[in-house]
Amino acid sequence: MNAPIQPPQWATRLLRTFCASQLVDDLEGDLLELFAQRVRSLGPREARRRYVRDVFSLIRPFAMKEKPEKYPQPAFIQPAMIRNYFKIAFRNLAKHKMFSFINIMGLSAGITACFLIALYVHFELSYDAFNKKADRIYRLSSDINSSAGTLHYSISSWPLGPNLQTDFPEIEAFTRVSKEKYLFRKGDLKFNEEQTVLADSTLFRVFDLELLHGNPATALTAPFSVVLTERSARKYFGNANPIGQTLLVGDNGDAAQVTGIMKDPPVNSQLTGDIFISMTTHTRHYNKAVNEEWGNFGTTTYLLLKPGANANALSRKFPAFLQRHMGRLLQAEKISLTLVLEPLPEIYLHSKYEAEQSGSMANIYTFTVIAAFILVIACINFVNLTTARSLERAREVGVRKAVGAGRWLLARQFIAESVLMSFLSFIFSLILSAALIPLFNELSGKTISRGIEYELPFVGALFAGSMLIGLVSGIYPAVVLSSLEPVKVLKGKFAMTGHGTLLRKGLVTVQFAISIALIIGTMIVYTQLNFLRSHDLGFAKDRMVVIPSASGPERNALKAALQNLNGVQSAALSASVPGGPNSQAHSRIENSEGEMQVATIDMYQVDFDFIPQYGLKVVAGRSFSKDFATDSTKALVINEAMAKLLGYRSPEEAVNKKFSQWERQGTIIGVVKDFNFKSLREQVKPLTFRLADRWNGDLLSVKLAGNDVRNTLSAIEQQWKTHYPDRPFSYYFLDEFYDRQYRADVRFQRLFTNFAVLAIVISCLGLLGLASYSTIQRTKEIGVRKVMGASAASIVGLLSKDFLKLVGLAFVVAAPLAWIGMSRWLEGFAYKTDIGLWIFVAAALLSAMVAFATISFQSIRAALMNPVKSLRNE
Amino acid sequence: MKGTYLGEFEEVVLLAVAILAGDAYGASITSEIEQQMGRSVNLGAVHAALHRLEEKGLLSSRLGGATAERGGRSKRFFTVTMAGTKALDNIREIRNRMWNAIPKPA
Repeated sequence: MNAPIQPPQWATRLLRTFCASQLVDDLEGDLLELFAQRVRSLGPREARRRYVRDVFSLIRPFAMKEKPEKYPQPAFIQPAMIRNYFKIAFRNLAKHKMFSFINIMGLSAGITACFLIALYVHFELSYDAFNKKADRIYRLSSDINSSAGTLHYSISSWPLGPNLQTDFPEIEAFTRVSKEKYLFRKGDLKFNEEQTVLADSTLFRVFDLELLHGNPATALTAPFSVVLTERSARKYFGNANPIGQTLLVGDNGDAAQVTGIMKDPPVNSQLTGDIFISMTTHTRHYNKAVNEEWGNFGTTTYLLLKPGANANALSRKFPAFLQRHMGRLLQAEKISLTLVLEPLPEIYLHSKYEAEQSGSMANIYTFTVIAAFILVIACINFVNLTTARSLERAREVGVRKAVGAGRWLLARQFIAESVLMSFLSFIFSLILSAALIPLFNELSGKTISRGIEYELPFVGALFAGSMLIGLVSGIYPAVVLSSLEPVKVLKGKFAMTGHGTLLRKGLVTVQFAISIALIIGTMIVYTQLNFLRSHDLGFAKDRMVVIPSASGPERNALKAALQNLNGVQSAALSASVPGGPNSQAHSRIENSEGEMQVATIDMYQVDFDFIPQYGLKVVAGRSFSKDFATDSTKALVINEAMAKLLGYRSPEEAVNKKFSQWERQGTIIGVVKDFNFKSLREQVKPLTFRLADRWNGDLLSVKLAGNDVRNTLSAIEQQWKTHYPDRPFSYYFLDEFYDRQYRADVRFQRLFTNFAVLAIVISCLGLLGLASYSTIQRTKEIGVRKVMGASAASIVGLLSKDFLKLVGLAFVVAAPLAWIGMSRWLEGFAYKTDIGLWIFVAAALLSAMVAFATISFQSIRAALMNPVKSLRNE
Repeated sequence: MKGTYLGEFEEVVLLAVAILAGDAYGASITSEIEQQMGRSVNLGAVHAALHRLEEKGLLSSRLGGATAERGGRSKRFFTVTMAGTKALDNIREIRNRMWNAIPKPA
């Protein structure tokens, strides 16, 4: 009943938390003694009050836990200790070479993939960003609307730039650029420069292209002024100073003066070129009327707006401008024109207008997601593998703890090991990246990086990132292992509970699902590309060599000479070949209702030999023939798609109908069977053929007959040299040229394949981690089973079954997703292969095999282990 | 006399230890001062002063016996060292000299 009066316990606890341990005893004693006295003299309430007051009064420096303990724990940030952690960590890594290798390689692969993708994404996003005035530069693009639909042109007509600037003061400057193929000569050197850019003198005012020599204000002013890039300057002049020197331009050999040397322009720019030649060369010399040809859409126009000018407000004034200058022309052609201002920085990734360079935002997103995925999965694997591996070190933990190592001391050790591993991974991925950058450039078809030494900020980020990964991934195993109870571990009774197992299983399933999806994707891309290559295009592309730039009157003599060569079956001249660009012409053709239907139609300008040589089948009427003198001015051949567009039920109906096109009027003389003159992404479009005039048709197609291709080619070259002594000889094979259209798809395939392999490797690491984890947990079970007479094979089966279930589940998830995704990709092709069932079966088998091989690595070892070893501790 | 300067509270604590002669520990010192001065004293202040005095070498301590009242916890006994005695003498002498220097009212 008379229970002793107690002081407030919370105050005592407070004292114990802050007070240095060697003082607690006598301070508490004093407190209790005073409390007892005060209860007697002052009463319990006052005694308690004073007790609390005294506890608080003891919160003083001398009483705090600052004194070193009997056996001081070293601080983490202590050089000697850190060195020790890393020394032990390194010994552990060296002891388990296989494990360390797999773990480090897995992480390296992840980091490297991330690094390369980061480079790629940065490259793509920084297109044209080097221009300081980029936010004020706009490309003038044209929408040409006719009854046949709208054509989106990234080009505009010559007079637009100068007239826009005159009419609208908010335009600070304009520059027109036109990429042409020009022949350049200097002494014995002669090159057909495909990257010759005709440019207005204002080029350097609009774009930040740096001139190393020459005056940017005047360099491109006079006709026949040439600015070379460093690259092309070296090509023609070596190390000599080219300023003021002359180059000969074109067939006539007009002398052009070098007025400037430009620093090689950045690769990620709309404006690429090797040689820049003044626009006045064209407008004052070659085509003096071009500045008045409103209908001649042949140049790209860039406008530089004044600071603060509103592009939207400006484009609202364009319709009135067009009415003023081109009203009559547009009316006569029955078309309307809309000018569109595209901000320079958005062109590369977002423009719908065709251009030689365009990127894909979808690709950037895809790659970023893949990079993030690979990195996260690599880190998770890293954690899983490290945890699984370190469970084997449970005994070490037990011994260390029993000897007196604190929990944090052990945790630090594991974190140090993980940091060391991620550091080694960083070193490896640096080497790997350096080696892979050239490959990656080739794969993406661009110079995304000139080498790792140019990417120091990225390398810094990579280092920081991998250190962080090491630190973070070290924490989980550190927490798990340092929590082991030494008594249990040393008794051999410890069993890791299955915490986190479901999560790990889920992650492995996700990894495999993505790998399987990528495998399926790779196979489908592969079969589709195969399908494209083997598809019957409707024309003969084998053994066909195309010799470009056979212009001028010599070409007919050359053609005649080649036809007489041994090994040449036939030769034909044309302005276009399948797989390459072709002209489009504004055409009026009589349709099935007897009206003249207006449309802009693809056009092939050919000679008499083209249609037979390309094996095009005439299904109605006749082909061009020398027997009809009127064919060169009054005849048109169309394809079946054209006849269909005009509403004819059969090709025969189209024959003898009227047409008018590019100053020619006459009748349709024949219809050819459809052939794929563009890539198989598109359905065959309506096409017209006409005989080329003397200006057009400088592609010479040669059909080879014999097997001796090399000798035939050198004979052709001999002929070329006699007819064009001043021009370099070049040629290409038509089938290769045609397949170039699928370059982007081939890149897509290669990237897909690489990511699929990487994903599979990383997934297998995940599976390996999971398998070894659970094998360790079941060591004892396996021992018992073996003692009871289970065969090694049955044990391998037992261990593998669970994991193959996961792979099966992954397949069930992946197959429909891959099917949906790849169907969408295939929709981009007008001609496509079917997604065969065999692809799914093959992908399932392949992934199951890979997974099984991975698991066997662990399970066979476990199955073959001597049961005495695993059961000894019982 | 640098280094042996004593604060007023330190002097009181040192005197209390001297008074308790051999039975001086935290609680006893605290109660002694409370009785002598008639005011309540913080245990923390006492211990802080004891700690400082020990650091200055004026006190020495040893761990000693326990009583039931303390829940069996040991006591830390303090004794005045030679230096401590000297310091107390010193102060007393200075005080006396100063008292003597006060001019007596005639």
